[in-house]
Amino acid sequence: MRHYEIVFLVHPDQSAQVQAMIDRYREIIKAATGTIHRLEDWGRRQLAFPINKVHKAHYVMLNIECTKETLDEIENGFRFNDAVLRHLTLSKKHAITEPSSLARTSGETDSSKTSDDEESDQEVVDDVIKSEVATEINPKPAED
Amino acid sequence: MRQMKRRTFSKIATDGISEIDYKDLEILSEYVSETGKIVPSRITGTSAKAQRQLSKAIKRARFLALVPYCDSHRD
Repeated sequence: MRHYEIVFLVHPDQSAQVQAMIDRYREIIKAATGTIHRLEDWGRRQLAFPINKVHKAHYVMLNIECTKETLDEIENGFRFNDAVLRHLTLSKKHAITEPSSLARTSGETDSSKTSDDEESDQEVVDDVIKSEVATEINPKPAED
Repeated sequence: MRQMKRRTFSKIATDGISEIDYKDLEILSEYVSETGKIVPSRITGTSAKAQRQLSKAIKRARFLALVPYCDSHRD
């Protein structure tokens, strides 16, 4: 069976439904004798830009091994579910089980406070590293 | 073309990262300019293969709103 990586974004107001959605997908996959190799709930994250006028979304990522029919069923669920803002399905060559870097950072910060701290750290890193690059690309005044 | 960065070896080459993932935001943010644009490889010194993987990863991250498209997104 093929390996897929699926990431989907849920509207933050429907965060409570996320667990039910995950359980539903788990049932679908189990019924088709597929396996979930990795399931990560990154919680509510700040979006880099507003989507449908919301600034935060609940991210969920899963690595599964299943048949094409199962994948179609899951994707169909995304299409007709208003709570899912975006989804991305990638095919992978192997199963991946180790936790991703985003799962680790979301575990450290409180999900209710979300990524305000993460983003400011990232900005500091960006400033330091890109001071050289910035002189090549349009030199802009210091960012906020 | 700037003389300064002509011979840089990119972080990707020195670290030996095999595959660039759209989730590695720290790595991705090094190859994105202040304005959110992808930095050309002649400046960062990445290999052609790495630059293609990087570009794809950044575009996926942008689609998932992990990384902005530009620096002036408005509501």
